[in-house]
Amino acid sequence: MKIPKIPTLLFAAAAALLIVVAGCGKSAAPAATGAKRVAVVVSTLNNPWFVVLADTARDRAKELGYEVTVFDSQNDPAKESTHFDNLISSGYSAVLFNCTDAQGSVANVRRAKAAGIPVFCMDREITANDAATAQILSDNYSGCVALGQYFVEQVGETGSYVELLGIVADTNTWNRSKGFHSVVDRYPGLKMVAQQSAEFDRTKALEVLEAILQAHPDINAVFCGNDAMAMGAYQALLAAKKADQVKVFGFDGADDVVKSVAEGKIVATVMQFPKTMARTVAEYADRYIKGERNFPQRVPVAVELVDKQNVAKFGDYGRKP
Amino acid sequence: MTTSSRSNAPARGTFAWPWIGLTLAVVVLLCLFPPFRVVSRQPALSAAPTGGAAFDPVAFVARFWSEQLQPAAGRAAALAPILAELRRDPAAAVQQHARSADLGGTAYFFSRGSGRVTAVEKSQVVVAVDGAEGGTIAIRTGPIFGNAVRDGCGLLEVNRVPGLAEFNAVSAELNRLVEERVLPPLRHAAKVGGRITFAGCAAAPDGPGAGALLAFIPVQAEATP
Repeated sequence: MKIPKIPTLLFAAAAALLIVVAGCGKSAAPAATGAKRVAVVVSTLNNPWFVVLADTARDRAKELGYEVTVFDSQNDPAKESTHFDNLISSGYSAVLFNCTDAQGSVANVRRAKAAGIPVFCMDREITANDAATAQILSDNYSGCVALGQYFVEQVGETGSYVELLGIVADTNTWNRSKGFHSVVDRYPGLKMVAQQSAEFDRTKALEVLEAILQAHPDINAVFCGNDAMAMGAYQALLAAKKADQVKVFGFDGADDVVKSVAEGKIVATVMQFPKTMARTVAEYADRYIKGERNFPQRVPVAVELVDKQNVAKFGDYGRKP
Repeated sequence: MTTSSRSNAPARGTFAWPWIGLTLAVVVLLCLFPPFRVVSRQPALSAAPTGGAAFDPVAFVARFWSEQLQPAAGRAAALAPILAELRRDPAAAVQQHARSADLGGTAYFFSRGSGRVTAVEKSQVVVAVDGAEGGTIAIRTGPIFGNAVRDGCGLLEVNRVPGLAEFNAVSAELNRLVEERVLPPLRHAAKVGGRITFAGCAAAPDGPGAGALLAFIPVQAEATP
């Protein structure tokens, strides 16, 4: 057998180098032309509010002519990361993204960006300004400022209350909490006797409030960082025969809580507009795929207080037409 | 060895060309369809979070207040015609004179005017606005909440700061400055029957028939008995 000598070996080495250089391109080529697949990656489908968010994003993207796959991260950053591995290797054209972790999810968005796949965040913010193409976000702080003012009106300027926080790694949790406290903390007669995370989960909220009620049986109100927790808190109060004495406040505008506001079980919630956010990200992705590149990094979406006086105007995760 | 090499040279050249051709073909294929990609991890490692730690809302707002907000307040739209138009056609008044920072959010007016104090209450001063044909507003003198100043002045938007949390901090600091710099002299000097000049922001009424008594957050106010 003839062994290739130096010139041939040099040529082969140069060729290998060329291959490596080709592989080191700044970003992968976009998905093959005509693929037009869009991924919806959602933090959880174990909460009706997020089901509405994901379904609306999926439906709007389909209306715009894309094949859509929904990935459920089940509130698990590791699962979310695996979804990004899969969608990057599968050549999706865009990702409509609801993150599990404001900071932890940044790396996933960056990996997609490096592969040439734009990511549009919906509802939940990631803490980077140069990773997502755009972020369409609920104005949680403002909603909880309005809720806080209504809380003071309803509970009064003295009393004790409990706060159930959402997922601590989520910026929405703290934007809501800070908005609420920016008002309520101005009234020194209102004492927060416990503040604990129930991770936006109805069952955990029930368990957490049951435990808190053992130590603080005489509270006047519970402020919950979302509606699922508000329903869990209400169940705990019902079981403790305190549902008539303790006022419950939620956040989201979930259908069951809007009905509960109308029935007087929950005092108030804040309507977010998941359908508006989901449709907007799908339309932004469509515009991106069609060549537009100038998007604002963050677009806040308004929220509205829902109380017994105006509850008739709301339903189906938004304002009634 | 040296002799043998020399004697084989023509034969080696003959065999080299198929090798080169084959390699070229493989190179072209691999360049077109690279079997792997090398992606720098540097961007991920240097991921700059929103940088809340670097952003100082107090310093930002102090500068914004003196360099932008106060000069703009002097040029804000006159309130009397807006009140008149709100009575005639609220939707048109909002469309023409109000602005919103959110998608589908509350719209705010940024305006100025003068008037006579008709009532002094716990958290507000009611003012009959000059030239507004009986139009009145309630100037807030109690704790200031919400985003009327931040979103109503039309000088700030979320992408000027690192993130939503920082944007909210700007709002809270603006409200604090209103409470610290504008409200104390107003509360002290406002008397029923006295005169007042003002500039500030107010949320537009939520739909027709909501009434024209705007809750006004002042960024400038001067009351005289």
